[in-house]
Amino acid sequence: MQPIQFFELASKQAEWLSLRQGVVAGNIANVNTPGYRAKDITPFQSVLQNAGTRMAATNPAHFTEPAMSNNVTETKPTDEIGVQVSGNTVGLAEELMKQGQVKRDYELNAGLVKSFHRMMLMTVRT
Amino acid sequence: MDPLVASLKVSASGLEAQSTRIRIVSENLANARSTGDTPGADPYRRKTITFVSELDRASGVSLVEIERLGVDEGDFSAEFDPGNPAADEKGMVKLPNVNVLVEMADMREANRSYDANLQSIRQSRDLISATIDLLRTSQ
Repeated sequence: MQPIQFFELASKQAEWLSLRQGVVAGNIANVNTPGYRAKDITPFQSVLQNAGTRMAATNPAHFTEPAMSNNVTETKPTDEIGVQVSGNTVGLAEELMKQGQVKRDYELNAGLVKSFHRMMLMTVRT
Repeated sequence: MDPLVASLKVSASGLEAQSTRIRIVSENLANARSTGDTPGADPYRRKTITFVSELDRASGVSLVEIERLGVDEGDFSAEFDPGNPAADEKGMVKLPNVNVLVEMADMREANRSYDANLQSIRQSRDLISATIDLLRTSQ
Protein backbone atom coordinates (compact mmCIF):
# COMPACT_ATOMS: atom_id res chain seq x y z
CA MET A 1 0.00 0.00 0.00
CA GLN A 2 1.20 3.45 -0.88
CA PRO A 3 1.92 5.49 2.25
CA ILE A 4 -0.31 8.49 2.52
CA GLN A 5 1.88 11.53 1.91
CA PHE A 6 -0.86 14.00 2.52
CA PHE A 7 -0.56 14.27 6.29
CA GLU A 8 3.18 14.94 6.12
CA LEU A 9 2.64 17.66 3.56
CA ALA A 10 -0.21 19.15 5.54
CA SER A 11 1.75 19.28 8.78
CA LYS A 12 4.66 20.86 6.95
CA GLN A 13 2.39 23.54 5.57
CA ALA A 14 0.81 24.10 8.98
CA GLU A 15 4.28 24.58 10.44
CA TRP A 16 5.21 27.01 7.70
CA LEU A 17 1.96 28.95 8.17
CA SER A 18 2.43 29.26 11.92
CA LEU A 19 6.00 30.47 11.42
CA ARG A 20 4.69 33.05 8.97
CA GLN A 21 2.06 34.12 11.47
CA GLY A 22 4.88 34.68 13.99
CA VAL A 23 6.86 36.77 11.51
CA VAL A 24 3.84 38.88 10.53
CA ALA A 25 2.92 39.38 14.20
CA GLY A 26 6.50 40.57 14.77
CA ASN A 27 6.15 43.07 11.93
CA ILE A 28 2.88 44.38 13.33
CA ALA A 29 4.29 44.69 16.85
CA ASN A 30 7.27 46.63 15.48
CA VAL A 31 5.19 48.96 13.32
CA ASN A 32 6.46 52.01 15.26
CA THR A 33 10.02 50.82 15.98
CA PRO A 34 12.65 53.12 14.42
CA GLY A 35 14.96 51.35 11.99
CA TYR A 36 12.94 48.12 11.89
CA ARG A 37 12.81 46.43 8.47
CA ALA A 38 9.76 44.34 7.59
CA LYS A 39 10.48 40.62 7.39
CA ASP A 40 8.91 37.72 5.59
CA ILE A 41 9.50 33.99 5.23
CA THR A 42 10.47 32.23 1.99
CA PRO A 43 7.45 30.94 0.03
CA PHE A 44 6.21 27.46 0.86
CA GLN A 45 6.87 26.25 -2.66
CA SER A 46 10.60 26.92 -2.51
CA VAL A 47 10.76 25.48 1.02
CA LEU A 48 9.37 22.23 -0.39
CA GLN A 49 11.80 22.23 -3.30
CA ASN A 50 14.82 22.82 -1.10
CA ALA A 51 13.86 20.17 1.42
CA GLY A 52 16.82 17.92 0.63
CA THR A 53 18.97 15.95 3.03
CA ARG A 54 19.18 17.28 6.55
CA MET A 55 21.73 16.72 9.27
CA ALA A 56 20.88 13.78 11.48
CA ALA A 57 21.10 13.93 15.26
CA THR A 58 22.19 10.60 16.70
CA ASN A 59 23.14 12.05 20.07
CA PRO A 60 21.19 14.51 22.22
CA ALA A 61 24.22 16.82 22.23
CA HIS A 62 24.19 17.17 18.45
CA PHE A 63 23.09 20.40 16.91
CA THR A 64 20.67 20.24 14.02
CA GLU A 65 19.34 23.17 12.08
CA PRO A 66 15.76 23.92 12.97
CA ALA A 67 13.35 22.90 10.25
CA MET A 68 12.33 26.23 8.74
CA SER A 69 13.26 28.99 11.11
CA ASN A 70 16.27 30.24 9.12
CA ASN A 71 14.13 31.22 6.16
CA VAL A 72 13.18 34.62 7.51
CA THR A 73 14.51 37.46 5.38
CA GLU A 74 14.00 41.18 5.19
CA THR A 75 11.59 42.25 2.48
CA LYS A 76 12.11 45.11 0.07
CA PRO A 77 10.33 48.36 0.97
CA THR A 78 6.88 48.30 -0.58
CA ASP A 79 4.95 50.95 -2.45
CA GLU A 80 2.54 51.34 0.45
CA ILE A 81 4.80 53.46 2.65
CA GLY A 82 8.34 52.84 1.36
CA VAL A 83 10.95 53.67 3.97
CA GLN A 84 9.67 56.02 6.63
CA VAL A 85 11.77 58.82 8.12
CA SER A 86 12.40 56.60 11.13
CA GLY A 87 13.85 53.87 8.86
CA ASN A 88 10.82 51.61 9.35
CA THR A 89 9.41 49.71 6.36
CA VAL A 90 6.33 48.00 7.84
CA GLY A 91 3.11 48.69 5.92
CA LEU A 92 0.25 47.90 8.26
CA ALA A 93 -2.33 47.23 5.53
CA GLU A 94 -0.06 44.76 3.81
CA GLU A 95 0.72 42.92 7.02
CA LEU A 96 -2.99 42.60 7.80
CA MET A 97 -3.53 41.26 4.29
CA LYS A 98 -0.80 38.66 4.83
CA GLN A 99 -2.51 37.68 8.05
CA GLY A 100 -5.75 37.13 6.16
CA GLN A 101 -3.90 34.91 3.70
CA VAL A 102 -2.35 32.90 6.53
CA LYS A 103 -5.73 32.43 8.14
CA ARG A 104 -7.44 31.29 4.95
CA ASP A 105 -4.66 28.82 4.15
CA TYR A 106 -4.55 27.49 7.69
CA GLU A 107 -8.27 26.91 7.77
CA LEU A 108 -8.17 25.17 4.40
CA ASN A 109 -5.32 23.03 5.70
CA ALA A 110 -7.15 22.10 8.91
CA GLY A 111 -10.34 21.38 7.00
CA LEU A 112 -8.53 19.10 4.55
CA VAL A 113 -6.80 17.20 7.34
CA LYS A 114 -10.14 16.77 9.05
CA SER A 115 -11.87 15.41 5.97
CA PHE A 116 -8.97 13.07 5.13
CA HIS A 117 -9.11 11.82 8.67
CA ARG A 118 -12.83 11.19 8.31
CA MET A 119 -12.24 9.30 5.07
CA MET A 120 -9.66 7.09 6.74
CA LEU A 121 -12.00 6.41 9.64
CA MET A 122 -14.67 5.45 7.13
CA THR A 123 -12.45 2.74 5.64
CA VAL A 124 -11.54 1.46 9.10
CA ARG A 125 -15.15 1.18 10.24
CA THR A 126 -16.54 -0.78 7.32
CA MET B 1 8.62 27.27 21.45
CA ASP B 2 5.57 26.77 19.32
CA PRO B 3 5.49 29.50 16.63
CA LEU B 4 1.86 30.35 17.33
CA VAL B 5 2.53 30.79 21.05
CA ALA B 6 5.59 32.86 20.10
CA SER B 7 3.43 35.10 17.91
CA LEU B 8 1.04 35.61 20.84
CA LYS B 9 4.07 36.70 22.86
CA VAL B 10 5.19 39.16 20.18
CA SER B 11 1.74 40.71 19.91
CA ALA B 12 1.54 40.99 23.68
CA SER B 13 4.84 42.88 23.69
CA GLY B 14 3.37 45.19 21.05
CA LEU B 15 0.29 45.78 23.19
CA GLU B 16 2.45 46.64 26.17
CA ALA B 17 4.62 49.05 24.19
CA GLN B 18 1.63 50.83 22.66
CA SER B 19 -0.20 51.11 25.97
CA THR B 20 2.86 52.68 27.58
CA ARG B 21 2.88 55.10 24.66
CA ILE B 22 -0.75 55.97 25.32
CA ARG B 23 0.15 56.51 28.98
CA ILE B 24 2.91 58.97 28.00
CA VAL B 25 0.53 60.79 25.65
CA SER B 26 -2.05 61.10 28.44
CA GLU B 27 0.59 62.43 30.82
CA ASN B 28 1.55 65.07 28.25
CA LEU B 29 -2.07 66.01 27.60
CA ALA B 30 -2.93 66.18 31.29
CA ASN B 31 0.05 68.44 31.94
CA ALA B 32 -0.43 70.63 28.87
CA ARG B 33 -0.90 73.69 31.10
CA SER B 34 1.19 72.72 34.15
CA THR B 35 3.39 75.68 35.00
CA GLY B 36 6.07 75.89 37.68
CA ASP B 37 5.26 77.21 41.16
CA THR B 38 8.09 79.67 41.86
CA PRO B 39 8.73 82.87 39.86
CA GLY B 40 10.50 82.08 36.58
CA ALA B 41 10.41 78.31 37.22
CA ASP B 42 10.38 75.87 34.30
CA PRO B 43 7.03 74.25 33.56
CA TYR B 44 6.31 70.59 32.69
CA ARG B 45 8.54 69.22 29.94
CA ARG B 46 6.96 67.02 27.28
CA LYS B 47 7.88 63.33 27.62
CA THR B 48 8.80 61.13 24.67
CA ILE B 49 9.02 57.38 24.17
CA THR B 50 11.13 55.29 21.76
CA PHE B 51 10.78 51.64 20.88
CA VAL B 52 13.46 49.14 19.97
CA SER B 53 13.15 45.72 18.40
CA GLU B 54 14.69 42.92 20.43
CA LEU B 55 15.30 39.35 19.30
CA ASP B 56 13.85 36.84 21.75
CA ARG B 57 16.38 34.00 21.71
CA ALA B 58 13.97 31.42 23.13
CA SER B 59 11.50 31.75 20.26
CA GLY B 60 13.52 33.50 17.53
CA VAL B 61 11.00 36.30 16.99
CA SER B 62 11.56 40.03 17.30
CA LEU B 63 9.76 41.44 20.32
CA VAL B 64 9.27 45.17 20.75
CA GLU B 65 10.60 46.79 23.88
CA ILE B 66 10.63 50.32 25.22
CA GLU B 67 14.09 51.71 24.59
CA ARG B 68 13.80 54.70 26.84
CA LEU B 69 11.51 57.42 28.09
CA GLY B 70 13.04 60.78 27.28
CA VAL B 71 12.08 64.40 27.48
CA ASP B 72 11.52 66.84 24.65
CA GLU B 73 14.20 69.53 24.85
CA GLY B 74 12.13 71.95 22.76
CA ASP B 75 11.59 75.59 23.78
CA PHE B 76 8.82 76.64 26.11
CA SER B 77 6.29 79.18 25.02
CA ALA B 78 5.57 82.17 27.25
CA GLU B 79 2.36 83.93 28.12
CA PHE B 80 1.64 87.19 29.91
CA ASP B 81 -0.10 86.28 33.18
CA PRO B 82 1.12 88.42 36.12
CA GLY B 83 -1.20 86.74 38.61
CA ASN B 84 0.41 83.32 38.17
CA PRO B 85 2.82 82.21 40.94
CA ALA B 86 5.32 81.24 38.23
CA ALA B 87 5.31 84.71 36.62
CA ASP B 88 8.73 86.39 36.42
CA GLU B 89 9.35 90.10 37.04
CA LYS B 90 7.94 91.00 33.61
CA GLY B 91 4.76 89.02 34.30
CA MET B 92 5.59 86.31 31.76
CA VAL B 93 4.80 82.66 32.57
CA LYS B 94 6.56 79.79 30.80
CA LEU B 95 4.16 77.18 29.46
CA PRO B 96 4.94 73.49 28.72
CA ASN B 97 6.27 72.57 25.26
CA VAL B 98 3.28 70.29 24.67
CA ASN B 99 1.41 70.65 21.39
CA VAL B 100 -2.03 69.17 21.90
CA LEU B 101 -2.50 68.47 18.19
CA VAL B 102 0.74 66.49 18.02
CA GLU B 103 -0.30 64.51 21.09
CA MET B 104 -3.70 63.72 19.61
CA ALA B 105 -2.10 62.49 16.37
CA ASP B 106 0.30 60.37 18.38
CA MET B 107 -2.56 58.92 20.41
CA ARG B 108 -4.48 58.04 17.29
CA GLU B 109 -1.48 56.25 15.81
CA ALA B 110 -0.93 54.35 19.05
CA ASN B 111 -4.59 53.34 18.96
CA ARG B 112 -4.29 52.00 15.42
CA SER B 113 -1.20 49.99 16.29
CA TYR B 114 -2.89 48.65 19.42
CA ASP B 115 -5.86 47.52 17.32
CA ALA B 116 -3.57 45.82 14.80
CA ASN B 117 -1.83 43.90 17.61
CA LEU B 118 -5.18 42.86 19.07
CA GLN B 119 -6.24 41.62 15.66
CA SER B 120 -3.10 39.57 15.38
CA ILE B 121 -3.65 38.02 18.84
CA ARG B 122 -7.19 37.14 17.80
CA GLN B 123 -5.90 35.51 14.65
CA SER B 124 -3.21 33.45 16.43
CA ARG B 125 -5.89 32.27 18.83
CA ASP B 126 -8.13 31.28 15.92
CA LEU B 127 -5.32 29.29 14.32
CA ILE B 128 -4.64 27.47 17.58
CA SER B 129 -8.30 26.59 17.98
CA ALA B 130 -8.47 25.40 14.35
CA THR B 131 -5.69 22.96 15.24
CA ILE B 132 -7.39 21.83 18.43
CA ASP B 133 -10.64 21.34 16.49
CA LEU B 134 -8.90 18.58 14.55
CA LEU B 135 -9.12 16.47 17.68
CA ARG B 136 -12.85 16.97 18.01
CA THR B 137 -14.57 13.99 16.50
CA SER B 138 -17.10 15.18 13.99
CA GLN B 139 -19.62 12.47 13.35
